[in-house]
Amino acid sequence: MGMDRTISNFIRALRNAEVRVSTAETLDAMSAVELVGYKDKAHLKRSLSMVLPKTADEKNTVDACFDQFFRFQDVRGENAGSGASSGDEDGEESSEGGDGEGGGAGGDPQNQNRSKKKSKSKAKQNNLYEEEEEADLGPGEITDAHSQLGKLLMANSRVELAQSMAQAGEAINVREIQIFTQKGLYARRIMDHMGLPDLNREISDLRTDSRVPARRLGQQLKQRRDFLREQVRDYVEQQFLLNADVSGKRLREELLRSVKLSNVEHRNFRLIQEMVYKMAKKLSTLHSRRRKVFKRGQLNVPKTLRNNMSYDGAIFDLYWKSVKIDRPKVFAICDVSGSVANYARFMLMFLYSMDEVMPKVRSFAFSSDLAEVTDLFNRNKIEEAIAKTLHDYSGGSTDYGQALLDFKKLCLDDVDNRTTIIILGDARNNHGEAHAEVLKELYDRSKRVIWLNPEAKLAWNTGDSEMRKYGAYSHQVEECNSLMHLERVVSNLLRQTS
Amino acid sequence: MGDMEKIAETVASLQASFEEHRYICSDEIATAVFLAYQLRKPILIEGPPGVGKTELAKTAAEMFALPLIRLQCYEGLDESKAIYEWKYGKQLLYTQVLKEALGEVLGDAKGFRESVEELHKFGDIFFSEEFLEPRPLMKAIKEEDGCILLIDEIDKADHEFESLLLEILSDYQLSMPEIGTIKAAAEPPLVFLTSNNTREISDALKRRCLHLYIPFPDVDIEQRIVAARVPEIPPALQQQLVAFIHELRNLDLKKSPAISETIDWARTLVLLHAEALDATMVKDTLNVILKFQEDIENVKGEVSAITAKVAR
Repeated sequence: MGMDRTISNFIRALRNAEVRVSTAETLDAMSAVELVGYKDKAHLKRSLSMVLPKTADEKNTVDACFDQFFRFQDVRGENAGSGASSGDEDGEESSEGGDGEGGGAGGDPQNQNRSKKKSKSKAKQNNLYEEEEEADLGPGEITDAHSQLGKLLMANSRVELAQSMAQAGEAINVREIQIFTQKGLYARRIMDHMGLPDLNREISDLRTDSRVPARRLGQQLKQRRDFLREQVRDYVEQQFLLNADVSGKRLREELLRSVKLSNVEHRNFRLIQEMVYKMAKKLSTLHSRRRKVFKRGQLNVPKTLRNNMSYDGAIFDLYWKSVKIDRPKVFAICDVSGSVANYARFMLMFLYSMDEVMPKVRSFAFSSDLAEVTDLFNRNKIEEAIAKTLHDYSGGSTDYGQALLDFKKLCLDDVDNRTTIIILGDARNNHGEAHAEVLKELYDRSKRVIWLNPEAKLAWNTGDSEMRKYGAYSHQVEECNSLMHLERVVSNLLRQTS
Repeated sequence: MGDMEKIAETVASLQASFEEHRYICSDEIATAVFLAYQLRKPILIEGPPGVGKTELAKTAAEMFALPLIRLQCYEGLDESKAIYEWKYGKQLLYTQVLKEALGEVLGDAKGFRESVEELHKFGDIFFSEEFLEPRPLMKAIKEEDGCILLIDEIDKADHEFESLLLEILSDYQLSMPEIGTIKAAAEPPLVFLTSNNTREISDALKRRCLHLYIPFPDVDIEQRIVAARVPEIPPALQQQLVAFIHELRNLDLKKSPAISETIDWARTLVLLHAEALDATMVKDTLNVILKFQEDIENVKGEVSAITAKVAR
């Protein structure tokens, strides 16, 4: 029972770290734990990281979480979750701790580690806080504490202390902890809520007291306060592990989604890249491949026989073997000229990710002349591929007309009614010839033409923008300059293809 | 059975047993097989080509002395190739026979209704086990004493095919519309799936499996692998060769050399009676470890430097 809680807490931490863990996997994890036990941590880690994660990325997360999580956990299976301090032969204490955990306060596993650290003398049975006496004040008579927290500390009750800590945690909403820098803050708040100011005052009063028993109390309280502080810190740490981290990431993601792509800072590229990848993947899974049986090709003997069985073995209803695999083709054309330089990077990122998750994406880049970059994408890593594309093709001045002509020359024959053409660009043509008739031709042949424009809608058709002409020959025209837009476009695309 | 249990008793015993069969495996790999055996779950093995994914299943079969049933996946693979097929020729023949004998069969059945009733008794014959042609998955299920089922390169099969696998992977049974559900014998097969990650495997499938990623091994393990597979190799050469390969893996190559290439190279060099690596010999045999001309050209310039480095 105890270990089940350990493992389900661990899974909660995993879910927080964005590893999806289903109930079935939880059960698997439990049987794995049952099999290998908590004794050999490395073994346990290997086992769990085989049962729980589903991708290499998740595996890394699980490993990292494991290290973080089990640093605090007493992983001794037999009484993890009971209050015994490992390596402490003090029987009385462990039994005391044992009933103590019934309260189920979130931070209890730490108690064990702490008390282990502090355990020096076993003489003082039933004493939670091993005494480290100073020379001048030996054990002896001691006065009663006055402050509430002081009383609690002197009462030597692990249960009450843990409960009080958990209550304070609830009261100050420790569950809402978001980022690791807040840990100190929350720890302090919990201490304050438990009555630290009063205790501090009492301690400083007692220090100057003339009576020895009172001074002795002061010393005791000070020690116990420091011990409590450590416990609270660990409690917060674990709460953080269980509740936060990712919400921090989610917050950032939320923010990034609505930021204009041209304003995204360099250090957030990684995150954006992940998000773009996720999106592209969503897109691709809905582009499922469908097979159709055609009246063409080889005779499908088994199927023909089977279906003619009912006609007395006389064969007159024929089935053909030719199986058509319906794979949607996507052609993506990206403007990488100076005017859209800031967006081009993200558009290329999107292209690259799409290329990774969909088998049949052909990518093209242009400023004046258009060229296919599919190969370049396939051969290089994302950063390089994007850098190379920008380097090789962003030089010229924008010429959409020429780009369309080039595209037509390159692959008009490959465009058919299963093809989706995505054009990413601002349609600013430097007052050149638009060649909208080429786009019309593509429009007529393909399944859809989607134009994504990074400019705000208001700016369309102003100056040298040819959006009106091109828009007429696109099935869909969208403003697209943040991830939110991109996501909307993608989900629209999905709805139409499915 | 006792033997199998003994082998799979602990991770260490598995590891030792694998080593006896000349398969050197890391703790991860041994743990995966251990869990697979103990929890009766399939293993999905991913990793770059040539790190011994298929070999693991083969060795496991050898080690447990179980038959290996292999299903190679490819685009367009469907149930008639993977699970079962009806023996159409035989069925057709039987319809002809039945046609001839129809008069006798119906005998003195009077009227349409009675005739149909008589015929109903024959209907099921055509879709009984007599006419069934089992394919790998069904063979594996029917294997009395258990077996190793290797579903190789699952990523090559279509997305839909994965769904066909779900039932056998989670419950070790197959449902056929004509016959019903066939359950595995007392000892269900130990299933290994391999994937080269050319596409994402569906979550549903992954959820039913243990997930083992086999990366390129570290120097120590790879040395032991070479020593196990090419025992006649001189120790100095073996160390330099493995170090050389590890240097190559750090370079930006189109395809990094895998373990299978290391072993091939070791065999080649042994045939050439090499005692240690030298630059000319490496250059001459680069095509054993690098499969793209582009990579070979790129590496050629570095060979002397790397050889000197690993000779130290």
